[in-house]
Amino acid sequence: MGRGGSRAAPAAAAPPWHALPDEVWEHAFSFLPAASDRGAAAGACRSWLRAERRSRRRLSVANCYAASPQDAVERFPAVRAAEVKGKPHFADFGLVPHAWGAAAAPWVAAAADGWPLLEELSFKRMVVTDECLEMIAASFRNFQVLRLVSCEGFSTAGLAAIAAGCRNLRELDLQENEIEDCSIHWLSLFPESFTSLVTLNFSCLEGDVNINVLERLVTRCRNLKTLKLNNSIPLDKLASLLRKAPQIVELGTGKFSADYHPDLFAKLEAAFAGCKSLRRLSGAWDSVPDYLPAFYCVCEGLTSLNLSYATIRGPELIKFISRCKNLQLLWVMDLIEDHGLAAVASSCNKLQELRVFPSDPFDPAGQVSLTERGLVDVSASCPMLESVLYFCRRMTNEALITIAKNRPNFTCFRLCIIEPHTPDYITHQPLDAGFSAIVESCKGLTRFSVSGLLTDRVFKSIGAHADRLEMLSIAFAGNSDLGLHYILSGCKSLKKLEIRDCPFGDKPLLANAAKLETMRSLWMSSCSLTLGACRQLARKMPRLSVEVMNDSERACPLDSLTDESPVDKLYVYRTIAGPRSDTPSCVQIV
Amino acid sequence: MELELGLALPDPGPKAVGELGFLRLDGTKRGFGEAFGAEGKPTLPLFVRDNDDEDDGDHGDGSGAAHRETSNKRKRLVGWPPVKCAHRRTCGGGAAYVKVKMEGVPIGRKVDVSLHGSYDDLLRTLDRMFPPSADQQGAPAEDEAAGWRRHPYVVTYEDGEGDWLLVGDVPWEAFATSVKRLKILA
Repeated sequence: MGRGGSRAAPAAAAPPWHALPDEVWEHAFSFLPAASDRGAAAGACRSWLRAERRSRRRLSVANCYAASPQDAVERFPAVRAAEVKGKPHFADFGLVPHAWGAAAAPWVAAAADGWPLLEELSFKRMVVTDECLEMIAASFRNFQVLRLVSCEGFSTAGLAAIAAGCRNLRELDLQENEIEDCSIHWLSLFPESFTSLVTLNFSCLEGDVNINVLERLVTRCRNLKTLKLNNSIPLDKLASLLRKAPQIVELGTGKFSADYHPDLFAKLEAAFAGCKSLRRLSGAWDSVPDYLPAFYCVCEGLTSLNLSYATIRGPELIKFISRCKNLQLLWVMDLIEDHGLAAVASSCNKLQELRVFPSDPFDPAGQVSLTERGLVDVSASCPMLESVLYFCRRMTNEALITIAKNRPNFTCFRLCIIEPHTPDYITHQPLDAGFSAIVESCKGLTRFSVSGLLTDRVFKSIGAHADRLEMLSIAFAGNSDLGLHYILSGCKSLKKLEIRDCPFGDKPLLANAAKLETMRSLWMSSCSLTLGACRQLARKMPRLSVEVMNDSERACPLDSLTDESPVDKLYVYRTIAGPRSDTPSCVQIV
Repeated sequence: MELELGLALPDPGPKAVGELGFLRLDGTKRGFGEAFGAEGKPTLPLFVRDNDDEDDGDHGDGSGAAHRETSNKRKRLVGWPPVKCAHRRTCGGGAAYVKVKMEGVPIGRKVDVSLHGSYDDLLRTLDRMFPPSADQQGAPAEDEAAGWRRHPYVVTYEDGEGDWLLVGDVPWEAFATSVKRLKILA
């Protein structure tokens, strides 16, 4: 700056770079979309800290108790899009006590106060009430995106408030929420002048919607790209909806089942033929192989296919998937079986993500022929495969070693062998060698779930090799404290660790207390922990919140329990907000 | 609660050979503990047998053998396999989740009716889910089985026809197949 160049006239001295006004830095930081980059910039010096935080537009709070809503709003006053997550992941499987917490209300209240220009709000695993939704509708005049994932506590009355109040709404995305049906025709509350919708997802809603109202809404929202229906929409209505919105990119069909009628088939086929932009498809398809050919015209364009709620099986399913040559994402039930996955392996070479869900998770025998064979085939033939979630009933070390060799590019590998403690079914050895091979080969692995019979040895490999691992899930594995010690003393990038039913005790927890502050959270249930260790941990690490939960039947005040008392559930997380004040009686903060 | 040692697959068949063929090289079979290699630790099966059900007298049929058969109600491991509620509902596997709402409580609950064998069972679960507040406590809880009777709660259910009825009027089996929703009136 100002060096070299003409010396004809004395130019005014340019300010040194570090004294540039904040607006310049704010503009520079606007080119750093990744939160981690912005965070790094903020750590460089005070003026960058100030400029960055005052200009940050997107905020992601991965643990709603890590900071208070007031802190967040004060520190980042210019936020336009916020995402807040609440309950621990194991809440999805019923392991977290029901009234544990994660209320969205304090966040909505703080946002209403401090972020009047807020445009996007996303909550995951939180309790969102109708009052929250009413407040959102009333507080943000330019509100555009509402995304609720795995939330509960609200009803169609809250949705009515959103529909009526959010003039500029672009996205209403409801994923896997528990929504109380108050029989309110919330869809009717979008005014006739309202045309801005781009995404409408109400697939998790259990009640009926007024189909005529839906049709009119879809007709006037010419920019609608994503439409995911619920089970109440019959097939013939689906056909007419699609004719009104041929521009759609993502479709959730809702319940796709009906007796075969040739004219309904023809209607559907014609409707799909009109959807030239359709790329993502999902829905609950029940045994309607006769209708699958109606989709054939869209197969080649599909990049994403979610059949995880579909109970179709057999040759029609395979014929259908084999036509989807450009699939990048496939979620399917184990009804596809090994030979179906072999077809996927040969047809869908662009596959990046595969999830196979159990159709009968509680049947120990399993009637379906889905084994390690399917996963081996897909990982051998799909060079871009990097994310897998696979439920099966048997596995071998050899298969895992082969998979690891074929696919060193895995970033997410989650294998769930349904019966706990299942060994290699051929050698009867633990599956240590197989899972170790995955972690040694896949240098970019960020998410890992292990299962089957496993000793401490596998954890030694994970601790030593999984340098980029951020989330690890362990169940029914390990022999001793060493297993947990290997993980906590290794795994440089570990953020979330969730463990259930493992023989891990107090020692590795206390020996690695400092590690816990470098992580977002730790969940341990049905392990061998005592209250004394939790007390020690809490004393040693004041910036951790140590929550202890026992069966709500035996809710006794903590003070009356001895150090030797076993702890059934432990949840530890770092926080700058101090102990929360909204714990139910079954949760105690040590 | 009794932990069952090892897997007890009913009918092997050719597909399941892998899980059951614990044969040594010399052809003799190994015991389960050996096969699993864990130092004498009992394996945790998918299902844990709940002895309480065997003591439950609330079963229709008389004969001892039949009683043992029908009372062989196995409680599932909580949260295993790790599939979300929505998936469990689609798949069947016997699960019959119905929503439970209590007057005055904003968040509803869900209960799997198929995991219960009697009204006593179900009401005990409801008791746990909606514990009465201190002033509603009646006599001290010595007799757990009769505990629910002392509560001022009235439990109603919606049947297949959409009618709301008092819980307990029809035989358990009839109730279990027709119940769609539960509502507890305080």
